[in-house]
Amino acid sequence: MSYLEIKNLQKKYTANGPLIVNDMNLSIEKGEFIVFLGPSGCGKTTTIRMISGLEEITGGDITIDGESIVNKLPRERGVSMIFQSYAVWPHMTVYDNIAYPLKLQKLPKDEIKRRVEKAAEATEIQGLLKRYPAQMSGGQRQRVAVSRAIVVEPRLFLMDEPLSNLDAKLRVTMRTELKRIHTQQGSTSIFVTHDQSEAMSMADRIVVMYKGKIEQIGTPMEVYQDSATRFVAEFIGTPPTNFFDASIIKEGKEIYAKGEGFYYKVPASLHQALADYVGKEVDMGIRPEYIGISPQKKEGEGYLCDAEIDFIEPQGSHSILITRIGTNQNVKIHTVDYMDMKPGTKVSCYVKNEMVMFFDRETTKRIK
Amino acid sequence: MHKSLKVPKKATPYLLLFPIFIYYAVFWLAPVVSGVREVFIGMDGGFTLTENLKLMFQSELFSESVLNTAAFAAISVILQYIIALVLALLLSRKFTGSKLLMFVSMIPMAITPTATAILWKTGLVKDGWINSLLMNLHIIDQPIVFMNAEGFNAILLLIAIDTWTVTPSVMIILIAGLQGLQRELKEAAYTFGANKWQILKDITLPILKPSITTSVIMRMIAAVQVWSIAVMVLGYSKAPFLVERIAFYVDAIPGVDTSTKLAYTYSFLTTIVVLLATVVYLRVSNRNRIAGGGEEG
Repeated sequence: MSYLEIKNLQKKYTANGPLIVNDMNLSIEKGEFIVFLGPSGCGKTTTIRMISGLEEITGGDITIDGESIVNKLPRERGVSMIFQSYAVWPHMTVYDNIAYPLKLQKLPKDEIKRRVEKAAEATEIQGLLKRYPAQMSGGQRQRVAVSRAIVVEPRLFLMDEPLSNLDAKLRVTMRTELKRIHTQQGSTSIFVTHDQSEAMSMADRIVVMYKGKIEQIGTPMEVYQDSATRFVAEFIGTPPTNFFDASIIKEGKEIYAKGEGFYYKVPASLHQALADYVGKEVDMGIRPEYIGISPQKKEGEGYLCDAEIDFIEPQGSHSILITRIGTNQNVKIHTVDYMDMKPGTKVSCYVKNEMVMFFDRETTKRIK
Repeated sequence: MHKSLKVPKKATPYLLLFPIFIYYAVFWLAPVVSGVREVFIGMDGGFTLTENLKLMFQSELFSESVLNTAAFAAISVILQYIIALVLALLLSRKFTGSKLLMFVSMIPMAITPTATAILWKTGLVKDGWINSLLMNLHIIDQPIVFMNAEGFNAILLLIAIDTWTVTPSVMIILIAGLQGLQRELKEAAYTFGANKWQILKDITLPILKPSITTSVIMRMIAAVQVWSIAVMVLGYSKAPFLVERIAFYVDAIPGVDTSTKLAYTYSFLTTIVVLLATVVYLRVSNRNRIAGGGEEG
C-alpha cells in the first residue's frame, strides 16, 4: 500500500457533462515529488483540488496512509496548498498570514510564535514578518505562501502552478528553492504545471495528463526518452519531437518505414513490435537531438534522407537547424557539431542510436 | 519649434486644468463663499460673528433637527448595512432564483424619491395598502394611523422608508466587492481549516473593509442631507432635520429676513457636519491603505 492512493478517480461538473477526470489511478510513495503535467483543461488542477477537498469527487477514492479522505473536511485531511495567485491575505501581516492556520487550531500563543518563526526561517523571510503583502514583491509573497503551507506540517503538499505568476528568472530560482524546502521538510508533494521544463527539472516522477486521462507516469528521463504515447512525445521536449507519416513495409528479413521523401531501415530491435503493422500507416517520431546530419553523403546504418537546411537558430550551447523532410515542413534538428551551418547547405540526415519511436494511429500508443 | 509655443513643463497641467478651475470658481466657489458670507452678516448689514448662529440655536425645532439628523444617520446606515450585507452574501451565491431575487431587490433603486414618497404615503394612510395588508393577514385588528407618528416614531417610519429605497444601492456595492474578491483567498482559508463563519469574519469582511468604509461614509453624508421624504410623507416640521429646516425656511416661509438668514446658517452647519464626516472618511480610508488593504499586483 502506497502513501497516497488515487483509485478510479472521476470528476464531472454536470450529470451528463464530460468526465474532467476520467478513471485516474495513481500511487505515490512517501517523500516523493510528483508533478502533474499537461495542457490547460487536462484535469490536473481539478485532481489536486479533489485531493485538497476544495472539489467534491464524482467517483473513485483517495486514501492517505490507507485511510480514505474523500468524505473529510479539508482541515481533517492534513494537506496544505499553495495557490497560483499565492492567496496571501492582503489585510494580514506576514506573521498573521503564517499564523492564521495555527490560530484556527487554537494552539497556544508561544507555540504559534515558535512555529511561525521556524517556517519563516525555512523560506528566508524572517525579516518580513511585520510587513503587509502589498509592500512585497511577487517572489516574497510566494515565500509567504510556502511558509504558511509548511507551518501546518502537512502530510501532503499541493501546489497549483505556484510559479506561473513569477517572472522568468525568478521562476527558475524558485524551482530550486521549492525543491530544497521539499527535501528539508521531508514532505510528500504534488506540483501542478503546464510548463514541461519546470516538470522535468523538479519531479521525481511526472504524471503526464491529457483530456482527463493519464498518458504516462514516469521519471523525467523515462517520459522524455521513452514516451508512452504520441501526446507525451509531442508535449515534452523543446523543440518537440519531429513527426512523420510512415507506412511499414516488409522486404525479406528487413522492415522499412516508408514516407514521403525517406525510406528508413527499421532497427532489428523493433521488428517484433512492428510485425503486426506491416502494410499499415503509423506515426514515426524522432527527437531533434537524435537526427544526425552529415555534410558529406552518408548512406548506411540509420540513413533517413537528404535534406537542405532552411534556417538556423543558434542557442549558444547548441543550434537548432530547420529543414523539410517529406510533408513535415518544420523538422527541427538539435546540433552541437554544426552550429555555424549556412542556410541552403545540403546534408544527409540519419537517426542516431536507433532512437526512433513509432505510434499507433488509432490508440496513439507507442509501438514497442 | 515655435518659440512662442514653449510653455514651462511645470505649468502644463495647470494650463490644461484651467477651464475646470474657472468652472469651480464660478459655479461652486462663488455660491459657497457668498453663502458663508451671509452667515456672518447681520440683519443690519454689518459683520457679526454669532448673531445668525444664535438665531439658529434659538430657532424653533433646532435641537430636534440636530438630534433627529444624528439618530436618522446612525440608525439608517447601520440598519441598511446589515440588511444589505445579508442580501449581498445571499445573492452572491448562485442558486435557483438568485437572479430573479437580485432583480426584485433592485427595484426600489429605480424609483424616484417623489414616487417613493407617494408610494409610501398611499400605503401609510389610515385606509392605505399597508393597513389593509396587515388586517387581511390578521396581524392587526384596527388600522394603525401611521401618519400621526411623532417624534422618534416618525423618525423610525422615515428610516424604514429610506432603508427600503437605499438598501439596494448599498447591496450593489457589497456584491461588487464580494465578486471582486479573489476566490483563492477564501479557498486558502478553507483548506487551512476555517469554517464558513470564520472565513466571513476573518477573510471576507476585513478584505471588503475599504469598500465598506467608503460606502458607509457616502451613505452617512447622504443621510445627513435627508429631507425630501420627510417633507413629502409627513409634511414640514413633523420630523425636523437639518436640511428639512433649510427647505422649510426657503420654501414654507419665504420672504422673511430671518428665514433667509436661518436657511443660510443651517446650510453652513450642514456643510460643516458633512465636511467633518468627509475628513473622518479620508483619514479612515488612508489608514486602510497603509494597512495593506491595497490591491495585489
